[in-house]
Amino acid sequence: MQVDQTLDCKGLSCPMPIIKLAKTIKKMNSGEVLELLGTDPGSKSDVPAWCEKTGNIFLEQAEDGGTFKFYIKKK
Amino acid sequence: MFKKGVLRELFDTLFGKSWPMWVGGILLAVLNILLFVIKYPWGGSGGYINVGQNLFQSMGATNIGTQTPINLHTVALLNIFIILGAFISSLFSKEFSIKVAPIGELVKGLIGGALMGIGATVGIGCTIGGFFSGVPALSGGALFLSLGFMLGTFVALKYLLWEMEALPKISMGKSSTLLPGTGKKTGWQRWLGWILIVVVLYIVSNYTAKGTALSKILGWHVFIALILGIILQRSRYCITRAFREPFMTGESSAPVAIIISILVVLIGFTVLKYFGVGNAGETAVRAIEMKSVYANFWLRALIGGFIFGLGMTVAGGCAVGTLWRAGEGHVKLWMSALGFTIMAPISKTFIVPGITKIIPESLRSKMFLPDYLGYTGAVVLILVILLLWYMFVKWNEKTGKFSAL
Repeated sequence: MQVDQTLDCKGLSCPMPIIKLAKTIKKMNSGEVLELLGTDPGSKSDVPAWCEKTGNIFLEQAEDGGTFKFYIKKK
Repeated sequence: MFKKGVLRELFDTLFGKSWPMWVGGILLAVLNILLFVIKYPWGGSGGYINVGQNLFQSMGATNIGTQTPINLHTVALLNIFIILGAFISSLFSKEFSIKVAPIGELVKGLIGGALMGIGATVGIGCTIGGFFSGVPALSGGALFLSLGFMLGTFVALKYLLWEMEALPKISMGKSSTLLPGTGKKTGWQRWLGWILIVVVLYIVSNYTAKGTALSKILGWHVFIALILGIILQRSRYCITRAFREPFMTGESSAPVAIIISILVVLIGFTVLKYFGVGNAGETAVRAIEMKSVYANFWLRALIGGFIFGLGMTVAGGCAVGTLWRAGEGHVKLWMSALGFTIMAPISKTFIVPGITKIIPESLRSKMFLPDYLGYTGAVVLILVILLLWYMFVKWNEKTGKFSAL
């Protein structure tokens, strides 16, 4: 998967990852893919829920050593 | 840990995926009703105040001290064992790690906690004692406290959005994650969880074995706190979120979960107050009716609620949200707990006396709604407010009129 931009939210807790995600996606072009790195377990449900609400496409998520990776395609 | 089987299946059901927040809400509501019966409805800020007072006392500042040691204070015990319960729960669900946020975020945690300490003492009550217990306790002050939370949250969210544009560096910088629950060599985490459960149960039995009325009450508080901590962590129950989300993403699941849980508590508390049940140590029916009704109606509640709302939004967790996130390993919320613990007793000793001088007594009175509206009128009033709130968050979710993101 081609990642166009990476947003590092490691160490941040709710609501900072979602605020940053919304701000970053706003500045991206349609069809581009954002990789979000985070450590807040809340993001596992928050990020897909935000994507569904805003119409952006939640591609997939992975986890390794306490870091979650989310891939989101801008609508 | 277990061979694949029914027990493993049960374990995975409980600790595999997060629970819906409303499920957690109903369970918390039931436990809150039990707390009402055992001694007093659930609260949070009283525990922070007690721990802080003990801390100051141990350092020689006796004027901010207390006569009640932590191990004899029901709310302090609730808070401590909620942290432990959430810690155990996050170990079981492999969600624990020590999450060190960038320095700017840690400072925000400290400031947010300190603001909550001021807000909870000025307004008398936090999102748990003042709101989650206060509203179903039919307290008029609780309604103004809630309004204060909403206004404070709204203003602080505007600040966070501004900060993101103007001062993005605050939430950037070095962060680290220690002892993650996923990856190599993490099996010990679940074993540690089991050991801690045994330790907590041992503490419970130590209290109850003493056999006095107080020690039995304390023992049950430790046990209930363990369960509260697990439920809070699994359902990520967050009252800050319920107040914030309509103005942020517009999502309604958190406010709806909180509305459902308040409905359950409302039914329970109303029955208990109406029939005068829950007299562990108290005999007067009036004392039972006035549980969780504080002398804050209405201006005192509004001011305190506003300050508390600012704090919980900046910290990213209210009094109890701070506790379970601290147990999950968020260092920002450790700072929030620290700020709350230090500031609450200082505010109680030095700020609150000044506030009560300025605010006339008529604007900080105990207001038990049934005294004015009867039980039926009071319950109907709360139901109407909950219904209006429900309709607002659902309408806003569809239209996004008030949502910033």
